[in-house]
Amino acid sequence: MKGWMRLALAGLVMWAASGIARADDLLKAKIGVLRLSSSAPVFIAQDKGYFRDAGLDVELKFFDAAQPIAVATTSGDVDFGITAFTAGLYNLASKGTLKVIGGMSREKAGYPLIGYFASNNAYASGLKTPKDLAGKRIAVTQVGSSFHYSIGLLADKYGFKLSDVKIVPLQSLSNAAAALKGETVDAALLPISTARTLMDSGGAKFLGWVGDETPWQLGAIFASPKTLTNAQMVTKLLAALVRADREYHDVILATIRDGVVPINETTKPLLEIIAKYTNLPVEQVVGNCAYVDPDGKLDVKNVDNQIKWLQGEGFVDKGFDANAIVAKDYVKAD
Amino acid sequence: MLDRATPETEAQPTDAPRPVEFRGAGFAPGGSRYSGWVALALVIAIWQLAGSAGWVNPLFLPAPSAIAVAIYKLATSGALWQHLSWSIMRIGSGWFIGTIAGVIVGFAIGLSTMARGVGITFISALFPIPKIALLPLLILWLGIGEEPKIATIALGVFFSTAISVYSGVDAVPRNLIRMAQSFNVPFHAIVRRVIWPGALPSILAGFRITASVALLLVVSAEMIGAQYGIGAFVLQAGNLMQTDQLLAGVVILSLFGLAVGKLINLLEARLLHWR
Repeated sequence: MKGWMRLALAGLVMWAASGIARADDLLKAKIGVLRLSSSAPVFIAQDKGYFRDAGLDVELKFFDAAQPIAVATTSGDVDFGITAFTAGLYNLASKGTLKVIGGMSREKAGYPLIGYFASNNAYASGLKTPKDLAGKRIAVTQVGSSFHYSIGLLADKYGFKLSDVKIVPLQSLSNAAAALKGETVDAALLPISTARTLMDSGGAKFLGWVGDETPWQLGAIFASPKTLTNAQMVTKLLAALVRADREYHDVILATIRDGVVPINETTKPLLEIIAKYTNLPVEQVVGNCAYVDPDGKLDVKNVDNQIKWLQGEGFVDKGFDANAIVAKDYVKAD
Repeated sequence: MLDRATPETEAQPTDAPRPVEFRGAGFAPGGSRYSGWVALALVIAIWQLAGSAGWVNPLFLPAPSAIAVAIYKLATSGALWQHLSWSIMRIGSGWFIGTIAGVIVGFAIGLSTMARGVGITFISALFPIPKIALLPLLILWLGIGEEPKIATIALGVFFSTAISVYSGVDAVPRNLIRMAQSFNVPFHAIVRRVIWPGALPSILAGFRITASVALLLVVSAEMIGAQYGIGAFVLQAGNLMQTDQLLAGVVILSLFGLAVGKLINLLEARLLHWR
C-alpha cells in the first residue's frame, strides 16, 4: 500500500513539474487582429517566430471589423486586441474593461491608408481637393468611426463646421463604395484597399490621403485588466512586437517612394508575409503599407484629442481622458 | 397473444355498463388575461435583481432600470418621436406596398394556372435571398433616399404575403365554390363572396407574420444612410457600444410589435366576426 502511495505521489509530482516546465516554456496568448496591412508587425512577429523567441505561444484570431475585437478583448475571448480606435472601443475602455498598452498604425504624410474620394459628378462640378468637402454629402461606414473622426479633423484644419457636411453612415465599406459609384453621395472616406477597385473601374476620383492632411494615431494594442495582471506576458508580447515594428519600419517603410514599396530582395520576404496574412497579392500590398512607429510609441496627445472630439460629438461618455485608459507602465508616449 | 385475449372475451358478457370518464377536454388553449404579464413581470424582476446585485456586468446586460432611464432620456430629448415617426413611415409604406402586391400576386397564383406555374417558381427562387446581401445593389439601383429602405421592407413583406394568400385561396373548400357555380354565380362574385371570406383567416394570419417581418427589416433597411429611425438608433448604439441604449431601442421595437399585434387582433375581430 505504501509503495503504491509513493508511486502515485511521485507520479503527481512529475505531472505537476512537467506542467510548470511547459508553462515556463511558452506562455499561451491569443491576439485578435484584422487581416489588414495596418497590423503588419503582428504578422511578421508571428511568421518569423519573434513571439516564440520571446517565450510566447501566440494564436492569431482574425476578425472582420474593429469593434468585435474590442468586445472580444473585454469578454476575455482574446488576450490582446490590435486594431483601430473607435468610439465603441473608447466606451468600453471608459468603463475600465480595456487598457491601451502600445501604439500601432498611424496616419502619416507619405503613407497612403485612408483617402478622400469624390464621385465623378461631384468631381466634375468642382470637388477637386479635400478642402472642397465642406457642405458635401460624405459616406462613412459608421458614426464615430475612424472615417468620421478624420472628417472632423479636416473640418478643424480648414475651419469649416462639421455640421456643414452631411455624414451618411452606410454600415459597410461595400455600401459606401456602392453609394459613391451610384452618385448618391458626393464623397466617401475609404481605405485604399477598397478604393483601388473603384478607381480602376473609373467609379470614383481621388482627392487626397488623410495622412497627408491630418496625421493621427489610428491603431493601438490593448488588453483587458485581467491580462495586465500577467506582467510577464505583456512585457514579452510588447518586446516581440517592437522587434517586428523596427524591422517593418527599417525594411519596408524606409524604402517607400510615392506611397509604394519597391519589390526587391530585402523587401520581398516581408511583403510576402504580409500578403500571406492579408490574402492579397504582393503587387497590392506594396501600395498600402501603413506607418508604424519603429519603437511602438503611442501618440497619447492625439488619443486624448480623439476622446475629446468624440465626447464633444456625444458618441463617448463624458468624464474621462487618455490618462484613464492608457496603461502607463507599458506605453511609450511620443 | 391468444392467452391474453381470452380473459377479455370472458369479461365481455357481463352487461353492466363500464363507466368511462369524459375524455374530450384539452386541445383548446384559452387566453388567460394575466399569466403572460405575470411571467413577463417575473422575468424583469429577476433581471433587475441580477443587475442591482452586481451578478452581471452592466456592460454585458444593462438592468431594466438603466434601459428605462435611457428610454426616458430619449423621450424627453424629443429624439424618440423623431426616430419613431421616420420608422413608422418606412414600416407603414413598405408594409402597405408589399401587402398590396402580395395579395394581388397571391390571388393570381390561387386562381390562374398560368400565374401559378410562373409565380410559385419565382417566389421559391427569390424568397430565400437575404435582403441584406442585396443592400449594395439596392443602393446602386435606388440611391440612398427613402426608396431603398421602403423597398427592402416591401420585398420582405411581399413574399410572405403572397405565400399566405395563395395557400389561403387553395384552402377554400371546393364544394362551396362548386355550389356557387351550380347556381350560376358569376366569376367575380365567387371571388368576392366565397373565396375572399374563405381565404381571409389565413391572410390575416399572414399579416401577423408580415408585420413582424417589417419590424425585423426596419433595422437592415435603416443601415442605408438613415439619420433617424429606431433601426438607425439601434445600429448607432451598437456601433458605439452603448448597450443600455441598444436595448432601449430593442424594447421600443418589441413594444411596437405588441401594438401591431393588438391592432391585428382588432382587425380579426371585425372582419372575421362570422367565425
